[in-house]
Amino acid sequence: MTSEIPVYPFAGIVGQENMKEALLANIVYPSIGGVLIRGEKGTAKSTMVRAATDLLPEREVVKGCIFRCDASDLRNQCSSCQSKRIKGEKIPSEFVRMRVVELPLCATEDRVAGTLDIEHAITKGIKKFEPGVLAMANGNILYVDEVNLLDDHIVDLLLDAAAMGVNFVEREGISYSHPSRFLLVGTMNPEEGDLRPQLLDRFGLVVDVEGEKDPSLRSEVVRRRLDFETDPKAFCDRFASEQQAIRDKIRQAKEIIPSLAPDETLINTAVTISLSLGVDGHRSDLTLVKTALAFAALDGQKEVRKEHLKKAAGLSLPHRMRRRPFEESKVDIRAIHSLIEETYEVS
Amino acid sequence: MNFLFPFSGIVGQENAKKALLCSLVHEDIRSVLIIGDPGSAKSTLVRSVGTIEDKPIQTIPQAVTFDRLMGMIDLEKAVTSGSIQVTPGLLEEGDGQILYADNVNLMEEGIVNNILNTSDTGHFILEREGLSHHVTTRFTFFATMDPAEGELSPGQMDRFDLCVRLDRIDETELRAEIVRNQLKFETKTKSFLLEQQHETDSLKEKVTAAQDRLPYVSIPEALQDLVSSLCLELAVEGQRGDLAATRAACALAALDKRDEVNFQDIKEAALLALEHRRREKPGCPPPEPPEENKEKEDNAQENRQDPDTRQPPEERDEPHPEEEEQKEQDRGIPPPPPVSERVFDIGATFEVIRYLDEQSWQATRKQKSGRRTRVQSTDTSGHYHAFRLPVKNQNDIAIDATLRAAAPYQRHRKRNGLAISVTKGDIREKVREKKVAHTILFLVDASGSMGVQKRMIAVKGAILSLLHDAYLKRDRVGLMIFRGKDAHLLLPPTKSPDHAAKMLKTIPTGGMTPLGKGLIESCNLLTRGRFASTDENRSIVILTDGRGNVPINGKSPSEELKEITEKIAFTGIRYVVVDTEAGFPRLGRAQVLAGNLNALYFRLEELGTQGLAGSVQNTIYSPR
Repeated sequence: MTSEIPVYPFAGIVGQENMKEALLANIVYPSIGGVLIRGEKGTAKSTMVRAATDLLPEREVVKGCIFRCDASDLRNQCSSCQSKRIKGEKIPSEFVRMRVVELPLCATEDRVAGTLDIEHAITKGIKKFEPGVLAMANGNILYVDEVNLLDDHIVDLLLDAAAMGVNFVEREGISYSHPSRFLLVGTMNPEEGDLRPQLLDRFGLVVDVEGEKDPSLRSEVVRRRLDFETDPKAFCDRFASEQQAIRDKIRQAKEIIPSLAPDETLINTAVTISLSLGVDGHRSDLTLVKTALAFAALDGQKEVRKEHLKKAAGLSLPHRMRRRPFEESKVDIRAIHSLIEETYEVS
Repeated sequence: MNFLFPFSGIVGQENAKKALLCSLVHEDIRSVLIIGDPGSAKSTLVRSVGTIEDKPIQTIPQAVTFDRLMGMIDLEKAVTSGSIQVTPGLLEEGDGQILYADNVNLMEEGIVNNILNTSDTGHFILEREGLSHHVTTRFTFFATMDPAEGELSPGQMDRFDLCVRLDRIDETELRAEIVRNQLKFETKTKSFLLEQQHETDSLKEKVTAAQDRLPYVSIPEALQDLVSSLCLELAVEGQRGDLAATRAACALAALDKRDEVNFQDIKEAALLALEHRRREKPGCPPPEPPEENKEKEDNAQENRQDPDTRQPPEERDEPHPEEEEQKEQDRGIPPPPPVSERVFDIGATFEVIRYLDEQSWQATRKQKSGRRTRVQSTDTSGHYHAFRLPVKNQNDIAIDATLRAAAPYQRHRKRNGLAISVTKGDIREKVREKKVAHTILFLVDASGSMGVQKRMIAVKGAILSLLHDAYLKRDRVGLMIFRGKDAHLLLPPTKSPDHAAKMLKTIPTGGMTPLGKGLIESCNLLTRGRFASTDENRSIVILTDGRGNVPINGKSPSEELKEITEKIAFTGIRYVVVDTEAGFPRLGRAQVLAGNLNALYFRLEELGTQGLAGSVQNTIYSPR
C-alpha cells in the first residue's frame, strides 16, 4: 500500500518538533503507551502520523503467526506460538516492518475485536475466529483519527485490550484471546469535545499542536506541500538522506534502550514531580521515566540528563493533572523545570 | 503461560490485598469489587492473584455477549449429528475458577446482573434457542471499576460481598518503589520473579494454612452481636452485609493463625464488607448517650434473631434459647462468653464506625456521576448484545444466532454442498444497544428587559454545571440568545466544558425581544443539519417572560407566537420553559407558551441561580 501512494516524508515537515519527538520516543520505547495529538484542523496531525510509517523499524516476529507475535517477547505470545514452544517445536522467525493500522471511526465492534468467520461456518459448519483490527494492531501502531469522536463501545474495547495487552473475545459463540499490544496514536480537535478520562490516561504522551505563527515558516509549509504534490518522487528524494539519518537514529536508540537503567535520581525526581502536581494513579511516574530514557537513547547517550527529563515532563504530564472544572489545566512547566534543576543539583 | 505481575510485588494497598486473600480463604466470599482511579494498579492487583492461587483466572471482556456468558447450542454437534447439546458459557466454564471483569461499570447492566446473581446463588437456568438447561456453578468473581466513569446501582453494589477502594499513595519512597518494581518486571522479568519467589511461596502457604484452619474458627457471640448492631447502625439493608462481614472476619482470623475472631478482625471486616453497603452518610456518627446505645444493642439482637428463626411466634418463646444452645454445642462451638463481656461492645459499635469514617472512601468519592442513558439502537451502530426474530426489514443479521437456529435441522435439509443451509425462518437479527447523548439548547431572552444580567448568570452557571457532567453522559449543551432583531447561536452544542467556558466569557445583552424568531431558529438548529440526529434526545430550555415584541411578518406578536408554537410543538423536541417574569402585575405569558409547547414550566425566581441546572437535569433525564 505505502509503496503505491507516495507518503509525505517525515523529515520534510516544517517545525512541530514536540510532535516529532513524541512519536520518535514512542517508536523507540513502545511501552511508553502512545501519543495523543491535540490541535486545530490542518496542523499536520495526520500527515505526521502517516509520515512516521516510513521510519518504522523492523521487528523480529514469529514466522507465519497471524498475530505477528514478537519472537523475543516470550511473555506475550499467542496461544498457538506458546503451545508450539512448550512442545519444543522450532519456531522460525522473520523480520517485518512495524506498521500503522488505522481504526476508522465507523468501524463496528465485530471488526475491531474479531468475530466468527462466517464463510468458514457456513461452508464447513465449524466455528473459527476471524481476527479483527486489534489483532492486526499487535506489535504495531494503532492509529485513530479524531479519537474523541469514537463510539463509546469501541472505546471500551480499546480500553479493555490496552489494560492487559490481550484481546479477549467472548462473543457470537466465539471464545478466543490473543495478544494485542499496540502503540495507540490518536489525533483530535479539542473543540469537538473531550476525550473520556480513562482513555486519555491510556495515552502515554500528549502533544498540543498549534498552527505555525511565523509567516516565513508558514510559507515554507505551503511551498513544500506544493512541491510534493507536483512531483512526489523528486520531493522524497530531496529528503532521502535526512530520512535515513532519522532511521539510523531510531535503530541506534533501540539498541541502547535495553542497556539503560534508570538511576535513583531520575526515579525520585519523577515521583516528586507527580506528587507535586497531584496526579491520579501511577502511570505518570512510569511514563515520565520511560520517556526520559527514550530521549536519552535518541541522543545516543547512556545516561539520562536533566534536559531529557524536562522534555519528557512537558509531554507526559499536562493531561494527567487532576482537573478542576472550567479552569484550563495548564501545567506550570517552569516550576517543574526548576524542580528538576534542584534535584539534579543536589545529587 | 503468561507471566503475571507477582502479588507480593505490589506496593501498599493492604486493604485490597486483604479482601482478595479473604475471598481465597473463604469459599463463600464469592465476589470482590476493587474501586480505583485510572492507573492505580486495579487490574494488575486482581490478575496478580494468579501468582498465589492455582485456580485459573478467566477474563470476562466488556463486550461479552449473552450466548458466551450463559451458554448456547453446540453448533458443530447440531450440524454433524443433529443432536441438541449445550456449549457451556463462561459462567459454567468458570465453575471452581475465578472470573474477572475489568471496568464492570461499563458493562451492560443485564450482563452484570447475571454474573452477580449467579455468583450469589450458585446456579442459573438457561432458556434459549430451544435449550432448557439448569447450570450449577460456583465461582469467585473479581471486578474493578473507575468511579469517574459512572457507578453501579446500589442493588449491584450490595451483591458484592466485599468492596475496597484503592488508596492514593502519596509517599515518595513508596511511589518510587512502584516505578522500580514495574520497570524491573518489564525489562528483567525472570530475575524479578525470582526475587519475589520466596514471598510468593510463603503467601501461598499462608492461604492454604488459613483454608485448613477456617472450619475451626469461631466468632464469640458478643462480636457476632457487634456485627449485627453495626449493620443496623450503618443502615445496611438486608442480611448480605452481616453475612459477608462475619465471613470476612473469620477469614481474617484464619489468615492471622487464630481460632477465634477478635475485635480487630471485626473492624477490618466491617471496612471490607459494610462500607459499600452503608446508607448513612459517613462523617457524622451521632454522639448518643450510652442508655440509648444499650437500647439499640438490644434491638439489634432481636432483629438479628428474627430472620434466623423462621418459626411461628407461639413456638418461638419457649424452646428457642435451648435450641440455639443445643445447636451451637453440636457444632462444637464454645458456649457464649459471660455477660460481662457484653459491656465491651456498647462503645465498640461506635469505635468501628469511627474507624470506618476515618478510612472512608465514600466521603472522598467523586460526586454525581450516574450512568449514561442507554437505548436500543435503531440502526446498525451500537453494541450487539442479544438477538431476536426479525421485527424490521433490516440487514443486521445475527449470523451466529442464525446458524445456531438452523443447526438442528441440517440433517433433514438439502445443503447443496454447504455445511449449513439456512432458510428464512432461521434468520435472527441483532439487538444493539447504545448509549445516547442528550443535546440541550438553552434559548435565552437577552433583550434589555429587567433582570437580564441575573438571568445570564443563572444560565451560564447552568450550562457549565451541565457540561461538567457531560463527559460522563456525553451530552452536548449549547446556547442561543435572542435580542434586537435576531437570534444568535453563541455556543453551538458542544461536549467540551473548556470550550464553553471560553465562548461564554461575555454575553451581549440589550435591545428588543424577538421571541418568535428565537423559537424558530432554535427549533431549526435541532431539526436540521448536524445537530438533528433523531436517536438523540433533544431539549430546548427557554428562558423568557413570554413577551415577544418583534414580529416577523407584521402580524401581532402574540398571534404570531401562537402560530409558531403550533408548528414546533411536535417535532420530537422536549421543551422546558423557565419563566423569568418578576414583580407585579404578572401577565403569565410564559405559562401560556409552556402550555402551547406542551412544556414543563418553572419560575426562575423559585429555582434561583443554583437550582436551574439541577431542575433541567432532573427533567431532561426523566423518561417522558
